[in-house]
Amino acid sequence: MKLKLFLSFTLLIAISVAVIAQNPKEIASKSNEMVEFESMEMLTTLNIYDARGNVRVRDVAVATRKFGEVTKTLMRFMAPPEVKGTSILVYDYPEKSDDMWVYLPSLRKSRRIVSTEKGKSFMGSEFSNADMSRPNLNEFTYKLLGSQKWNGKDCWVVEATVASSEVEKELGYAKRVSYTEKSTYLTHKSELLNKSGKVLKVMTLNNFQRQKNGRYFAYEMRMENMQSKRYSEMKVKSFQLGSSLSEEKFSVSSLEN
Amino acid sequence: MDLFKRVCKQRRWFIFVPIALSMLMLLPLTNAKVNPDLMEYLPNDIESKINLDSIEREFGKFEPLIIYIKSNDILQPSSLERIVSLSEALSELPEVNDVLSLHNTKYIRGVEGAMLVDPAIRFIPTNEEEREALKQELTMNPLAVDVFVSSSFKHASIIVNPEQGIPDETLLQKVDSVLMVYPGSESVYMNGLPYLRNEIQVKATRDLALLLPLGLFVMLVFLLLSFRELKGVLLPFSVVLMSIAFAMGLMPLLGYDLSLIAVLVPIMMIAIANNYGVHIIARYQELNSETPSILMPQIVERTLKHLTKPILLTAITTIIGILGLAVHVMAPARQMGWVTSVGVAVALVLSLVFIPSVMLGMKKGKPSHGKLTFERAWIRKLLAQISLKTVSRPLVVVYIFVSFLLLSAVGILSLQVSINMEKMMPKAHPMRISTDIANQHFGGTKTISLLFEGDIISPEIMQAMDAFERELKQIPEIGNVTSLASVIRIISRSLNNPDDFLYDTIPNDRMAIAQYIEFYSMSGDPEDFEKLVNFDYSQALLNIQFKANDYKAFKRVVGKIKALANSSPHCTLMAGQCLVENELARSIVRGQVYSLIFALLAIVILLATIFKSVTAGIIGSIPLLVSLICNFGLMGWFGLELDIGNSLISSVAIGIGVDYAIHLFWRLKYELSLGRSYPSAIANTLTTTGRGITINALSVMLGFAVLFFSGLVILKTFAFLIIFSLLICLLCTLILIPAICVLVKPAFLTMNGDQQLID
Repeated sequence: MKLKLFLSFTLLIAISVAVIAQNPKEIASKSNEMVEFESMEMLTTLNIYDARGNVRVRDVAVATRKFGEVTKTLMRFMAPPEVKGTSILVYDYPEKSDDMWVYLPSLRKSRRIVSTEKGKSFMGSEFSNADMSRPNLNEFTYKLLGSQKWNGKDCWVVEATVASSEVEKELGYAKRVSYTEKSTYLTHKSELLNKSGKVLKVMTLNNFQRQKNGRYFAYEMRMENMQSKRYSEMKVKSFQLGSSLSEEKFSVSSLEN
Repeated sequence: MDLFKRVCKQRRWFIFVPIALSMLMLLPLTNAKVNPDLMEYLPNDIESKINLDSIEREFGKFEPLIIYIKSNDILQPSSLERIVSLSEALSELPEVNDVLSLHNTKYIRGVEGAMLVDPAIRFIPTNEEEREALKQELTMNPLAVDVFVSSSFKHASIIVNPEQGIPDETLLQKVDSVLMVYPGSESVYMNGLPYLRNEIQVKATRDLALLLPLGLFVMLVFLLLSFRELKGVLLPFSVVLMSIAFAMGLMPLLGYDLSLIAVLVPIMMIAIANNYGVHIIARYQELNSETPSILMPQIVERTLKHLTKPILLTAITTIIGILGLAVHVMAPARQMGWVTSVGVAVALVLSLVFIPSVMLGMKKGKPSHGKLTFERAWIRKLLAQISLKTVSRPLVVVYIFVSFLLLSAVGILSLQVSINMEKMMPKAHPMRISTDIANQHFGGTKTISLLFEGDIISPEIMQAMDAFERELKQIPEIGNVTSLASVIRIISRSLNNPDDFLYDTIPNDRMAIAQYIEFYSMSGDPEDFEKLVNFDYSQALLNIQFKANDYKAFKRVVGKIKALANSSPHCTLMAGQCLVENELARSIVRGQVYSLIFALLAIVILLATIFKSVTAGIIGSIPLLVSLICNFGLMGWFGLELDIGNSLISSVAIGIGVDYAIHLFWRLKYELSLGRSYPSAIANTLTTTGRGITINALSVMLGFAVLFFSGLVILKTFAFLIIFSLLICLLCTLILIPAICVLVKPAFLTMNGDQQLID
């Protein structure tokens, strides 16, 4: 009897786990959590390729830190020389549109950029600003399309459809199909599609490295524009969990100093 | 062995082989490719094409479909919503790469220390106040006004850039289906090369489907009226069908695509290929009525003996005239020259071999008793009158023709080359309407790009481009000019306050320009610059949009742009679709001249050889020369522009028209050899052979007249001009040549020659 009870209990747990695990929104949420960092600093190289393989190289230093509810990010071009010192400061609010300032060293002044579209290019690359920030889970409806092997990894295939045309306009795509590894919840590939299912861009994340806080960070990201055949790669040269920069460093006035 | 004996011996083969071969020739037509893009037929080594190719290699091919929306008020909610819906639905199509319109163009400006980047339509106005506010914004937005909305706010444009390799037909079908899903009170018109090419293809296919049966029907009726005997209808008709099969089947067999000009091939065959058969049937009927007891083999033998040589000669001259097209610069014209010549040769052989073979196996029809029909009566009367007047006052005739010639020649001075491809379409066609909208409200349909090379983001080049822009905008025909310099100015206006010295200027510092571009790329798409500057900033384009209604205006604008381009060492290349079209137009003129010289020279030599006299060559070419001058003069007077279609007329007219002079000389020579005086020889010639020439010419004109039912203006104009040319040629042969002969009394007419050919 005890054995029977135990078996039933085990079965129940197994089924529940399977049901929970197969809830697509849950998968997306867990996947987000796996790569979420409140603060970090990194040095990265952004390679922007055109369809013929010509490349523009940008070295960028990035620092992110959360102050209260606001995540503040500072990015500074380190190379090439003609844009060295150009800096971008982004305030990411949970409930309203981001604030963004750009500092141009040649003008010695910063300028606030107000754009309603997050789907625009991140530093002239194929990545968009939206790709760089954490998606709001409630802006999508989720559907589990099934399981598939990707690069030898057993993945959930989750389709996230934007909940409104406003969100679609903001992000620049209508659907996102993600390949999330079942065992780690790491998303290795995302396809961004338009309403009729045409694949606009494909993002792949590689070289995930586990950090001290148990989360993972992708040291290599690639975004390919399927229309223009341009693609961009972001390769992290160094990564540091946490940032020692003070809040003052994340201010407009310090951009100009 | 003479032809008759051979026909008797191998009669079955001469019937079976042509029929079987014609059937076989139809097979390749199933693989025929229709290619309406005339540009593709241009040789690749012409300068404008090389320039355009080199720019397209670096900056991509840009052949958009442009949709113009006309509304009482573009800013009314229903019109704006329709533009938004259409733009969104179109960009969803897998066949479409991107869509540019009011819906996704940006509104970039500086406001109180911030750069604001918004969609150009930030809101759909719900009241007059909001409408006015949006109107103000759009008026100030250089990325919207005159590009995606007219300054009158009655027109909007949507630019659809198709994916590479998408067939025009597929694209247009998909776009049409989207337009059906979003109907509205606004009128929608399309423009752009994909639309033009598709329309030409649709119309050319329709023309082939309609004009071929129509032409055949007209010819059947003509043959029936002329001979009133089934044999007389079916035999020449079958020759026409078989020669059409050969000519058309030959095109895919030789790897030729069916171009717009290919539509003309069957029509030309209908007009020309029945000529030889008609002569044979006419002779058969003549012999049958002269000697009712005569047997069919005797008729065939005498007919062949009588007609083989004249038919052979007239066919050869026609072939040589049409072969003038073989030296045309444009491949479709050359191809038409070759296949039509082969078609005529096939018609010649079939008329001399197939028709007699079939006749030999047929029963003789009832003889007609030489009763003059109404047609015979009035033509004969008219020709008798003409001969009377010509002979009595030859000098007056010459004066009248010379005056007419001079008057026509004046028209040649205003002859222009066509540079606007849309003029192939009828006036009320949407393509013509959309072209008017583009010219009046959106800066024009023609574009030229100037290539700048060097360190593009250096102040020197950027300021040169900026100076070019300002200079070019002064030219009235030029609508829009865009380059990286315009973008730098937009950024400088949004980055700096109006009282800053950097406001609305090109910075004098390379770093600043680089940072401006980096700054802009953070708020736009990476592809935004793709059409303006290459990836490593070593090449940039300055795009000029302008209008030109005629060749003169076009030359003026292009001349000014060229002069400016030459003034900067950094500006290395000038290219554009319209420059290729211009080269096409110029090559048409060149083609015209080459074909004309070739055909005329060949005909002079041929006539001189046939009649063993240079004078015969010269006098015999007069009708051709007069008809050509009158043709070009008429075009000048009527404002008809030289285009690919009417550039074929000279050769075709020469090929067909020369036959008339040969027939005339032959008969005149014969009449004079009988010891008749010039007046009576001319009277006899005109009322006998002259009648034949007239009927033949009328039948050819009738054949070409079916082209008036074409959906393409270019083919209608062709029909008008070829009929006019042949008419002039006919009149010259029947009136001017006899008058000249009376005045000059050329020796070749009275020399002993091949008299046996007449009997």
